[in-house]
Amino acid sequence: MGVLGDRFNRLSGKTRFVAARLFIHLAGNEVAPLLGVLNRAARDAIASDGNIQTLGEGLVEICQTLLQYDIYWQSAANEGDVFWDEGEAGDFVEELFTDSAQRYHSGVQLAEGEVDEFDTIPITQNLVLMLTFAYEGEVPQLETDLANLSSLKAGLKALINLHYQDRLRAIQVHFSPAQLGDELTSDQLLLNFPELVPL
Amino acid sequence: MNMLRRLLIYMMVLTLAVSAVSCGGAPSGADSTQLPNAQQTQAQAPQNRLSDGEYPIQQATYDDVSGEYTVMVLNTKPGESSVYRAENLPMARLTDEDIAQGKKSALRVENGQPSLYLTEDFKIEYVHNVTENVTNPQTGQSETVIVRQESSFWTPFAGALAGQALGSLLFRPQYYFPPVYQPGIPLSGYGGYGRTYDQALTSYRSRYNTVPNEVRNRQNFRTTGRLRTPSGQTIGTNRNVNRSTGTGYGSNTLRRSNPSRPRTTNRSRGFGSSRSRGFSGRRR
Repeated sequence: MGVLGDRFNRLSGKTRFVAARLFIHLAGNEVAPLLGVLNRAARDAIASDGNIQTLGEGLVEICQTLLQYDIYWQSAANEGDVFWDEGEAGDFVEELFTDSAQRYHSGVQLAEGEVDEFDTIPITQNLVLMLTFAYEGEVPQLETDLANLSSLKAGLKALINLHYQDRLRAIQVHFSPAQLGDELTSDQLLLNFPELVPL
Repeated sequence: MNMLRRLLIYMMVLTLAVSAVSCGGAPSGADSTQLPNAQQTQAQAPQNRLSDGEYPIQQATYDDVSGEYTVMVLNTKPGESSVYRAENLPMARLTDEDIAQGKKSALRVENGQPSLYLTEDFKIEYVHNVTENVTNPQTGQSETVIVRQESSFWTPFAGALAGQALGSLLFRPQYYFPPVYQPGIPLSGYGGYGRTYDQALTSYRSRYNTVPNEVRNRQNFRTTGRLRTPSGQTIGTNRNVNRSTGTGYGSNTLRRSNPSRPRTTNRSRGFGSSRSRGFSGRRR
């Protein structure tokens, strides 16, 4: 049914929507600077009040930085689905946001007293990025198993292209830890991101 | 041998049938592409179901915040509302023959699919909402509020000459976006058009390099973490041992789903590294 249904929908001129999520886990002492890029993109997004064009530019920057950091890639995972109904794709994207958001602690933190040992802020060894996107049409590079080095590279490049083709309809970026000084330990990683596959 | 021959005949018949069906389906895109939109307009169906037929228009209003058309129609059947609302409504110009026969601007519902048939000079009331960014004193967040509404008129088919290359297209229902609003000047023509809503949007975007208000307002922006709160006060000691800190933001411009429609549970197929489908399950 799957392939035949796809073909039928395409023949009848319906728009194909794809919503997908990509996890990338980076490890190493030098991954923390990436937080700067991520937070800058986040601030731009807030400043533009979520303009999809601005978010797309931020996504391009993140993808490009990721490609430069490829030696720190530790594990990855991806998932996604094809939709022929825009509403269903939109719902799926919102569900992915909620699912991504529950993997980290986002509430306001109260720094209670003893903010001693301030001279050494911990440097995180791990960084996880969750990129969710929805686009129109078909991109074979993104609709496969991306949990290996070469296909992940091809996927990120395809994602950059999608922005310039104006085909991205939804963009989400989640990352953990939130800022310099916060840590994501290996235990937390195992607990909250069980789908990651080593590269 | 005989068996094989019979099988071959069946196969050929089947192939012919399939190719005939698919070839027949493709070019008639005009009908089939309207299918999803027909379903979308059913979103409003519970409140304003109009049975098939033609209803003369008293007045039509377009609101640029939501992109909603409010059409007041005459001669509705008992029990049906005379106010019809729809978020995207295809429009067509009445042909000269129709006008010669004395037809007036009307809302036509065919197989549950509504479309407006307008005369050349029909004016749709255009409600422009002037917005302002205001900081909410209670939450400290900036919000967009509608300060006032301005009223103007939009004549979608003014000045379009019948018989031009575009002419024949005018008489078939298509989706139109109004041109960019300018205060004090009545709007005429279109900002974008297309056989489907998405094509109209593409044509609008290529012309103005931006999206119409109604599309921009559909955008849903979400954030998590401490993005909205002023940072730099606490370099927090993370008390939550199960989870690290994190930040997320995202914009979604896809249309919301239709609550009145049953959700099709069988998704076509998923892809990804976990292979076993499903987003919620953390299958290993």
